[in-house]
Amino acid sequence: MSETLATFLASTPLLEEAWRLCSIANTTFPGGYLVEQIGSVAYVAFSGKQMDSGSEQRCRNLVPLDAEDGGPFAPLNRHSQAEEPIKVHNGMLNLFLSMYPGLQIQIAALMGKVKSVVITGHSIGGSTASLSALWILCQLQSTSSPISTVLCITFGSPLLGNEALHRSILRQRWGGNFCHVVSKHDIMPRLLFAEMVNHNSKIQALLHFWQWCMASPHVIVTSLSSQLPDDIKDTVFHCVLKDLELLAQAEDPSESLFWPFGSYVFCCQEGAICVENTVSVIQMMYLTLATGSPSSSINDHLKYGDYVAKVSKQFLKARNFHEEGLPDSSYEAGVALALQSSELTDKEPVQDLGFSMQNSNPRKEVPIMAKYCLQMAQNGDKPNLTAANLAIKLSKIVPFRAEIEWYKACCDEADDQMGYYDSFKLKGGSRRETRVNLNRHKLAGFWNSVILMLENNKLPHDFDRRGKWVNASQFYKLLVEPLDIADYYRTGMHRERGHYMEHGRERRYEIFDKWWRDRSVPEKENKRSKFASLTQDSCFWARVEEAWEWLDNVRSESDVTKRRLLWDLLHKIGMFEKYARELIENKEVSKDVVAKNSSFSRWMEEWKELKSRVQQLPPWFPGFVDGEVVP
Amino acid sequence: MDRLGEMTGFREEQIKEACSIAMTAHKSPEKPYLLEKSRTSSDVFFSFPGSWSVSNWFTRQPFGEIKIDRSELMSPKGNDNVATSLRSIGRDELATVNEGFLRRLEMILSNSSLQSEVEKANTERKQIVFTGHSSGGAIAILATVWFLEQYKSRMSPLCVTFGSPLVADFIFNHALRRENWSQYFLHFVMRYDIVPRILLAPLSSMEPELQQILYLLNQKAMFPIQGYIAEASKFFETVMRNASAVASHAACKLMGNTNPILETVASFIELSPYRPSGTFVFYTGNGKLVVIRNADAILQLLFYSSQLCSENELEAIAEKSLNNHFDYQSALQESLNMQNVVNLDHLEGLPLSSNGAAAENVATNMALNDLGLSTRARLCLRAAGEQEKQKLSNQQRMDKKKADIEAGLAMLEDYKMKSALCKVGYYDAFKISKDEDDFKANVKRLELTGIWDEIVEMLNRYELPEGFESRKDWVELATKYRRIVEPLDIANYHRHAKNEDTGPYMYKGRPRRYKYTQRWREHALRMPVGSSGESCFWAEVEELQLYRTTNPGAFEDIRERILNLEKKLQEWIRDKQISNDVFLEGSTFTKWWISLPHQHKSISCIQGLMNS
Repeated sequence: MSETLATFLASTPLLEEAWRLCSIANTTFPGGYLVEQIGSVAYVAFSGKQMDSGSEQRCRNLVPLDAEDGGPFAPLNRHSQAEEPIKVHNGMLNLFLSMYPGLQIQIAALMGKVKSVVITGHSIGGSTASLSALWILCQLQSTSSPISTVLCITFGSPLLGNEALHRSILRQRWGGNFCHVVSKHDIMPRLLFAEMVNHNSKIQALLHFWQWCMASPHVIVTSLSSQLPDDIKDTVFHCVLKDLELLAQAEDPSESLFWPFGSYVFCCQEGAICVENTVSVIQMMYLTLATGSPSSSINDHLKYGDYVAKVSKQFLKARNFHEEGLPDSSYEAGVALALQSSELTDKEPVQDLGFSMQNSNPRKEVPIMAKYCLQMAQNGDKPNLTAANLAIKLSKIVPFRAEIEWYKACCDEADDQMGYYDSFKLKGGSRRETRVNLNRHKLAGFWNSVILMLENNKLPHDFDRRGKWVNASQFYKLLVEPLDIADYYRTGMHRERGHYMEHGRERRYEIFDKWWRDRSVPEKENKRSKFASLTQDSCFWARVEEAWEWLDNVRSESDVTKRRLLWDLLHKIGMFEKYARELIENKEVSKDVVAKNSSFSRWMEEWKELKSRVQQLPPWFPGFVDGEVVP
Repeated sequence: MDRLGEMTGFREEQIKEACSIAMTAHKSPEKPYLLEKSRTSSDVFFSFPGSWSVSNWFTRQPFGEIKIDRSELMSPKGNDNVATSLRSIGRDELATVNEGFLRRLEMILSNSSLQSEVEKANTERKQIVFTGHSSGGAIAILATVWFLEQYKSRMSPLCVTFGSPLVADFIFNHALRRENWSQYFLHFVMRYDIVPRILLAPLSSMEPELQQILYLLNQKAMFPIQGYIAEASKFFETVMRNASAVASHAACKLMGNTNPILETVASFIELSPYRPSGTFVFYTGNGKLVVIRNADAILQLLFYSSQLCSENELEAIAEKSLNNHFDYQSALQESLNMQNVVNLDHLEGLPLSSNGAAAENVATNMALNDLGLSTRARLCLRAAGEQEKQKLSNQQRMDKKKADIEAGLAMLEDYKMKSALCKVGYYDAFKISKDEDDFKANVKRLELTGIWDEIVEMLNRYELPEGFESRKDWVELATKYRRIVEPLDIANYHRHAKNEDTGPYMYKGRPRRYKYTQRWREHALRMPVGSSGESCFWAEVEELQLYRTTNPGAFEDIRERILNLEKKLQEWIRDKQISNDVFLEGSTFTKWWISLPHQHKSISCIQGLMNS
């Protein structure tokens, strides 16, 4: 089915149009880009010929994507405090940033005129295209815009960024917006997998050669490549092939500095396949290159026109499987056809490399590896089936949730009037609470698995917009997050790691926040006549915990000379009090918040008392009006 | 080997007569339709000529399609509020049809004697056969569903078309299969005939050529001429490119491809909404016939059977793609003589390679070879077969859960009885929820919710067999479920004051599992839309009560609503759709009703019920 998908892509006019504009950009707009509108789609094609790309290209220098002020890619950096920062190739980022101001104006001019945008580019223009598409996607996320979709199509684009970039694109679910076309032997998209520090001058010569060829499109490519010295071709080819082989044979590609993202369309004379799984992409990169030669690896970077024309005409002709021994299972046969479409059947000659693995016969290895790799790429799970099974699992865990609900109702009615949050926090060890705690873990496990599946594209693409799941996750969040907070503070995690909201909040809750915000239902303002059954701000109790700390700090701070510090604390306390009062007034909280002995009610009382004391302090001290601090 | 007649349920004589009169219709384009009575049987044929102007095919960009509700033709006659069958029931998604063809049928019905002739044939208990060649076939298809929808007849009409363009989307096919009407439609397609494929391409991709091609076809319909190779080639390529996009997009979905790029790219292009329906018979071009019913597979066949064997065939095939459109009569004669017919019913086991097929598959394999089906084509057909199998196994899985549902309902019935003993009724008991029993009932409610939500999800994605929503056992079980459990959902909704949060239950909070199942019953019993709302009784009570609390004096504003509710309650109680526990002392309803003005209560139609 990786092949059927490629067939679909090739049946649309998108690849041909994109390439047509890329080749115009290469010859007519060196160092720039061109914009063209076709129907309701705008095409932006970045030239592969960039003046200064040579000097930037040679280093594999990665720089963080986030600027001080967030920069064009601000939304991407949201989850990444604890993780490796997103990094991209320095030279490519600079190239993009140099075009960014002009691009902003161009894209703004397209708003209202078009429904969707295709961003495309050949060679180094492809990485600028990727960064531009990434920027527009960030943009669309934060503003409502008439442009609904962006598709980035690159041809022979070098790798762009690290694993964090890859992961963050998956998390944003933008993988489907990137389509990288890679011709069979083209070395450019594979170049940055290799460690090339010793060969900078050769790389530079190669890049210059390519740049020069792009500007003269009417010369026959094969005759051109003879003008490049053989030792450059050989060194680059073998160097890349060697490192790529090591990477392809490692179980886990995390060794690599650069990571692919989005979908890859591998095309050759026989057809094309479309793969998104990282391991498969890397293996395909290796396996197809291994069937090439130093000069084909250079020439193929300039032959996208031929490849695109070829695959775009393929729909006309019935293509049969011309080998013997077609397997009878649909699944196996699909793999066999995909192999054929990537020209990885055993008839292809394979580079016999001196350094090749101990296995004496690489000719046999390639088809076997390829088969394995493609099997991995088309894992047999059907997303709707997975979603249906998930629905069954959800219904199985619902009774656990109901039990927690029941527990909450009991706490809220109990004579001690502590409410749900404080009961759970105080009585953590008792039998009933242990049971609730067990349920809490079961639910967390379930929802984590949902998110994992979603981010690995195991679920239907619109899953996070399906009402059932949005509602179920929201309900779960409102009901259970207070327990997570209680647990966090009871076990003293806040002393180890810092406060819950900054340092302890599970990622799933942030994701559910996003689902809830993004749902299409318009917010309706309605006055509540009684307290909500669940506090609408699921982090409310974490705020209470922080407010307690502030209060304690104020009380323990006897040194009135630290006015600035005190003033800050009192300000924060005042803001929280105002916020809480508003929630209560709108009945956005559940009644456990206002229970007589809840930690919030106790906080309010102590704060009231402190306030009355504070107001008797000397006049230079901040004063209060209705809970708000005025300087 | 079976004969075509046995395989399709149509008599061969009937098909031959239909073909002959369908072709004849072109000779008198001034007549809106032709009527011919069979000399040998009770058959009455209605045949329609094709139309050859672009505006008759495409009334608008991109595909000239329109939702069926814009036409009154396709609703049951005489009962305004009963919904058309041409939709999915639960999801309530209407079928889409070609507007040009639909308007043409409307015009024929209002400007000719068609309706009265059809009615006459029907009263005389004749077998009505609608037929047509080319776009005349499209009119015949629509005329047939018009008849099926409007007339209750002991004898179903039949429809036979030759080289008809596609007329409607997959929901149309879904509805035909659900209503068991699919079997009345038989469509013949020549291997290379371009016409059945044209509507897979958007108008914008072929606007200048299309008029030329239609003009050519019209000429050919009258007298044989030679084609224009260049235009034909370009046209063929355009249609095939678009057909390839539609077919491979559909195939990706059939195969369960999860790559999100599929949807991104689909949003950049125009993909035809049209899909086949009914039984298709493909001519291989050498006398053989291939019969196939799976609509997904037919779509794949429409594309793959027209593929070239080599690039240099293009011009020859492009010319054939026009000429083939007029070969139906001779080809039919030839294949009826040969009787080499292959039935493609077990798609998931089709042989994949063109040579090595097992003995029982040899005939099938030869026919697939004759249609030029590559391994890739066969994989797509298999995927279509797998999907059909998957739907059946989903249904089986749900059938196994019926016992669980019954058990759950029994438990809740029990809860209802126990609550009635406490003089509050289960609605109010659940709304207060203070006992362990209430908690247990809630868990049971949630378990049942899980099962029904799963059904709803599958219906939304059309993953159950088409007939599921009209299965009597499921409609009855769903009604029982709805009557017992929906009051609990309403109670829960108001217990948590979600009406203040989200809005009134009926507009904002009612789960799809109840909306869908209510529609099931209304469709099964041909009831007016919205008339089986007995399970929402409590929602209306809550709304009216809320109104009374917030506007204590205002009675007149809601008088109509109250009268209406009382009237319906009386009927529901009489028909045992709602039980007497609503009148218990502690019930919300009783308390509210007592608060109504005395004057109203004294003449209320439920006064007797309240007092007893």
